[in-house]
Amino acid sequence: MINFKINGIDYTANEGESILDCARRHNVYIPTMCYMPKTTANASCRMCSVEVEGQDGFILSCNTPVLEGINVISDSESLYTERQNIMKLYNVNHPLQCGVCDKSGECDLQNKTLDFGLDEQSFAVRDLKRKKKKWGVHTYDPALCIMCEKCTAVCNQVIGAEALYIKPGGYQSEIDINMTRCIECGECIDVCPVGAMASTEFKYTTNAWELEKVPSSCSHCSSACNLYYESKFDGISSYVNDTKIYRVTDDEHFGTLCGAGRFGFDYANKAQKDEKSFENAVEAFKKAKNVYFTSYITNEETYILTKLQEKLGFNLVNNEAKEMQDFMEAFASTAGEQFANATLDSVKKSDYIISLGSSLATDNPMVKFAISKAVTHKKAYVTNIHPIEDESIKNILNEYVKCEVGSEEAILAMLAETFVEDKSSQKTFFDDLDIGYLSGESNVNESELENMKRFCARKKRKTLILGSDVIGHKNAKNIAKIAGYIQKSGAFEVMIVPSVTNSLGVSLIAKLDEAQDGYSVGYNVETDFTLSAKGTADLDMPALNQQEGTFVNIDSCLSVLNVGSSYDGYVLNDIACAFGIETKNTVDYTSALPFNNISFDDLEDDFNEDGTTQRAFRLESKTNTQNANLDSVNDIAEYNGAVIYLKDSIDQFSEFTADCKQIKEKKVELVASTSFATAAKAKNGDIVRFEIGGVVFTRKLRVDKKMKGTIAQNPAFDQRSKLSGYRFAQINLEVIDG
Amino acid sequence: MSKVYFSTWKDEQINNIGKAEDSWDESAYNLPAQYDEHSSSKAFIGWDGVALFDKDIDVVKLATEYAHQYQEYSEACGRCAPGRWGGRILYDLMDKIARGEGTVADMDHLKEVSRSMQLTSKCEIGKTVPNPLLDLMEHFEDTFLECINEQKASKHYHEDVEYIAKITAPCMDACPAHVDIPAYIEGVRDQTFEDSLKATRQTMPLAHTCGRVCPHPCEDECSRVNLDSPISIMELKRIGADYESDHGIGFIHPGKRGKKAKSIGKKVAIVGSGPAGLTTAYYLALDGVDVDVFEELPVLGGEVTVGVPEYRMPWSKYSQDIEAVKDLGVNFHLNTKVSVDMMRKFEEDYDATMIASGTRISKKVRCENEREEVQGYWGAIDFLDRVNLYEKFDIPLNQAQKKEYDIDADFVDLTGKTVACVGGGFTSMDVVRCSIRAGATRVIMLYRRDEKTIIRNTTYEEYHEAVEEGVEFIFHSAVAEMKDENDVLKSLIIDKFELVPDPNGGRAQLVKIEGASEEIAVDYLIPAVSQSADLDFVPSEWELDMTSWATIKTNGVDYMTSRKGIFASGDCEYGPMTIVNAVGQAKRGASVMTRYLKTGEITLSDDEIMEDHLRKMKVYDKNKKITGWLQGVPRQQSEVLDVNIRKFNNDEVNFGFTQEQAISEAERCMRCYYIAMVAK
Repeated sequence: MINFKINGIDYTANEGESILDCARRHNVYIPTMCYMPKTTANASCRMCSVEVEGQDGFILSCNTPVLEGINVISDSESLYTERQNIMKLYNVNHPLQCGVCDKSGECDLQNKTLDFGLDEQSFAVRDLKRKKKKWGVHTYDPALCIMCEKCTAVCNQVIGAEALYIKPGGYQSEIDINMTRCIECGECIDVCPVGAMASTEFKYTTNAWELEKVPSSCSHCSSACNLYYESKFDGISSYVNDTKIYRVTDDEHFGTLCGAGRFGFDYANKAQKDEKSFENAVEAFKKAKNVYFTSYITNEETYILTKLQEKLGFNLVNNEAKEMQDFMEAFASTAGEQFANATLDSVKKSDYIISLGSSLATDNPMVKFAISKAVTHKKAYVTNIHPIEDESIKNILNEYVKCEVGSEEAILAMLAETFVEDKSSQKTFFDDLDIGYLSGESNVNESELENMKRFCARKKRKTLILGSDVIGHKNAKNIAKIAGYIQKSGAFEVMIVPSVTNSLGVSLIAKLDEAQDGYSVGYNVETDFTLSAKGTADLDMPALNQQEGTFVNIDSCLSVLNVGSSYDGYVLNDIACAFGIETKNTVDYTSALPFNNISFDDLEDDFNEDGTTQRAFRLESKTNTQNANLDSVNDIAEYNGAVIYLKDSIDQFSEFTADCKQIKEKKVELVASTSFATAAKAKNGDIVRFEIGGVVFTRKLRVDKKMKGTIAQNPAFDQRSKLSGYRFAQINLEVIDG
Repeated sequence: MSKVYFSTWKDEQINNIGKAEDSWDESAYNLPAQYDEHSSSKAFIGWDGVALFDKDIDVVKLATEYAHQYQEYSEACGRCAPGRWGGRILYDLMDKIARGEGTVADMDHLKEVSRSMQLTSKCEIGKTVPNPLLDLMEHFEDTFLECINEQKASKHYHEDVEYIAKITAPCMDACPAHVDIPAYIEGVRDQTFEDSLKATRQTMPLAHTCGRVCPHPCEDECSRVNLDSPISIMELKRIGADYESDHGIGFIHPGKRGKKAKSIGKKVAIVGSGPAGLTTAYYLALDGVDVDVFEELPVLGGEVTVGVPEYRMPWSKYSQDIEAVKDLGVNFHLNTKVSVDMMRKFEEDYDATMIASGTRISKKVRCENEREEVQGYWGAIDFLDRVNLYEKFDIPLNQAQKKEYDIDADFVDLTGKTVACVGGGFTSMDVVRCSIRAGATRVIMLYRRDEKTIIRNTTYEEYHEAVEEGVEFIFHSAVAEMKDENDVLKSLIIDKFELVPDPNGGRAQLVKIEGASEEIAVDYLIPAVSQSADLDFVPSEWELDMTSWATIKTNGVDYMTSRKGIFASGDCEYGPMTIVNAVGQAKRGASVMTRYLKTGEITLSDDEIMEDHLRKMKVYDKNKKITGWLQGVPRQQSEVLDVNIRKFNNDEVNFGFTQEQAISEAERCMRCYYIAMVAK
């Protein structure tokens, strides 16, 4: 702890904390135009200059650490004058187009210009011709740009895309982009303090101050990020009380969203109440043998389904969540506790990361961003073990280890053997391990393991990330047990990436069954009688941005959903009520969930001044006293012939993201290696058909010469609700249009 | 020293306005009054004032042009509010006055904006650009007001005057390779590590290497010295370099294209693949020259490979720098000792030749009975060759060598042996620390001067790590005699000296202390006093000019020898010196060679001419007062391998900064960029 003063008042700072951060933490105001706590200081605006008693000149508070005993003066007449002068400079030739600028009303330049009492501009310069740019989802107007460098900082440090960069050169300096690296996440739009970076689609559609900001959680993947639906009354619609989402934003200082979260918001189901359909639905439930559902569902609705299950006795089926449930149960049996202990935040702070069984670029963007942050801020050594190499994430990896399809269990066993120090509690397991065999079958050789071990020396925080490849694995149970054992041993903190948004929540709430032959009802799954938010079903249901409720996210925290877009139709609770399971609102069930006692309205959803989040309703990881034995690893599946991997394109997760206007995938293709095409007797451009887990895909085949192995990647988001199981499959491929 | 018409350079106040030219005062500084051998300068304007050499100079236009330069340079500008807008206002208003459209209010604005820039700009460039402009406005106010009052253009506004500007910084100026240090530090701070490395490789291809084993003369001339302690410049270079090798992202080359230019159809032969040879090859290849490098040893890299030990410069990292050179299509020929005939052939087959063969002959210590045939007398270069070839490439000792050194093992095994080394420079440090790692029981360093000097000649870290590892330093000592039995070394007679101050205030003299000599039993004496160049391969009929040190003579500016088309750089030109010195020479040599290949002329670019002028003037000013930075922010120290572990292995001793340390250290950098400009 460091003792110092600001304006004569005593404060304490942490080791290495900047003057600005410490001041903010203690609610002392120092103005800035370019600072964001989530990146290192840009130091471009110079507004945060302060004085330090006994030292000459102005000292920048954003990148100067607090030293013992200093007295900082955060405001003085001369500081005010210089800050005012900076604002004068910022206003030089700034186009006076506030009337039509998107940012007007929430613009830092407007705010601080007024703050510093500047109502006239006494000088100008000869202006330059500056061309506006359209870069996909965002547009850039260099005339409005104040070169604060926030956009380049987030692109580089937070997202890890390294697409935006500064084209320096005095007054001509501006931002430029390497489009091939841009993942169109729109984070640059969010942090832009002025109107320079704007959303192409949102531009000129509304004034910022007309929008109502509703805090909620993203529904597309298991990170369930904090976001704001910004919506307003849509007067021209025939829909009663219609509110439409105009855009999605996040907390500029502490939050982050990916492209799906930011641009994939227009999936609301604008349905009306249709009594006939509702009656049909009630009848369908009465006779249902099976009720299918997906993990794109809130905890509360899952709870309602279990209530209906109890009452009506149907089989409640969600195979993907069942896999998660089994996996977590097995994990707990060796981990000594219920949950994996790594969080997105702890990944950011790790300096050694191994990822197994995950398509890092696409599965869960926040995991990738967290790794990227660990690389830039902690010089993390990152190893990715996967059968398919992904060129797009090379910049965040130190090592790519290619492994055989199906060998994840063997690899995890070898990792345990390599990294766990005290192996006494599972002596039999380790004694039985035939490393030569495992190494041969997995194609991960001992020197690669030695290398991993070598770079692990001196590392202080190690994380093992397990992706959804392993959750659907044939030997998932033993994989989970080994993972639990690794966590308990302390060799790694472990992160398990749930396959679908609320897989973890569903797995904690529902009693899941196997399907049996007979009449079926599906909730967001197409079957005999379908309830769905897709707008084409037998009974309409609200989409997730039209509901209140909660998820359990990847950090095993409760995330809160609020209504972004209005809905007038029936909801699942209406059906429950029809069966006498009565409550007024769906969220009345929040407090009844089997893992917390808090009511929905008591769940807050915000950040503190220092960025600590108040949404940390981290579920208690219950102690598990079991001490299960690890099963010996001997039956490693071999995948020969043409193998397909289910891998979505960036920003695509489900049937709901599939149709969102701004992120709609134009080319949904099967991307194959040359040898895959040869093995499958298909060529570039062919229309092919194949079946995976009972789901039939018809795709155009594109050969990617850079891909190695006899393998192809198939996007599966448009059929997500029907899929579960291992993400690799051996298939028979039929060319239907050559 | 030159006569000036007017000067405010570094606070000097010389004003000869109205005086006859022959009665002008001289400036106290090395100002570039003579631009090059063909032309003189009319004015020099820079961060710390302005000097006029010609009374006809148009000061209003000069100020305008200087302000304009700030809009041209990409290294620093446009990245802070005061600099970006303020700089533009300076230029616009200056130009407005110069073309005869200004007002008195514009003068006031100029002064106001100047003050804001001086106080709040991000880099020194923004803080200092206003300085000479304010000087001119103050001392030549009438000239400015004349333009304003009469609304007429300044006197030479419409004429073409050549203005040559150069961006510099104290550290860049001090670095023999003139690396753009603030730029690579900015890359670390912004975590754009590719940009960081790119900035380094503009003038320094061996980023992994000079991020580890450079004696960093730049740190002595870091402006932060004036405030607290210098930036850890060398270690920050390693961050961008290690990012390249740790992530396998391919090779990062400088320039817009970042790859080899199209072949210009010219060929160059290079003798030696050490730092100078590699650097020459790198920049020639980037400019589209086809390059063949000839190396005598079975491995590439010269002394850095076989001289610098693994624990200081891991081969895996140096080889990354070498691979970067290979990546540009340079051809290397290993195990190829260049002969006199080959040199003659090079002159026929190639368009130019660079000699970069280093200094590979260990000099003698000059003691009694100093005979090569005595077993146990072992030249430092050969000793380090044997150690490193085994440690880095598993090349064992052959039978003859085993016999010569009296070693049974396949490698240099000194278990139970006593080693004495005579030296005091980096090579001797490498010898003693390698001897510790080779298991020697007792390792002694004999040095003529004191502890302070050995630290100055090497580094603080190097010396202290050696002491920690158990090397005995005997200061103020020299070997008087080698004692042998049947040509086997048994002991040394060591003389002791003391430093006797010169009563007349001159340099203190080392005087032998009579009766203090002692005899020490040793198994090996390793002379590491200095090295000389082996230049037997140079055809004698070429009659190359040589220095008194028996190295190849050039003018130290363009690095061409007395024979046209034959160049020399690195230790074989300068004598045994640092890696960064070799790189700096070779970089310049390559640039001169490229122009020579294209035009047949030996020329310097304006940038190089300015570089040399600035070095003569010295950019660093130890009296400069630093303001606007908090004093006492500590310099980061990287962790090193524990002494009890490192003594027994060859693992890299220095772990380098953690990322937090690197970013904190980068944030200490004050970005002391300056613009210097000459009007011709």
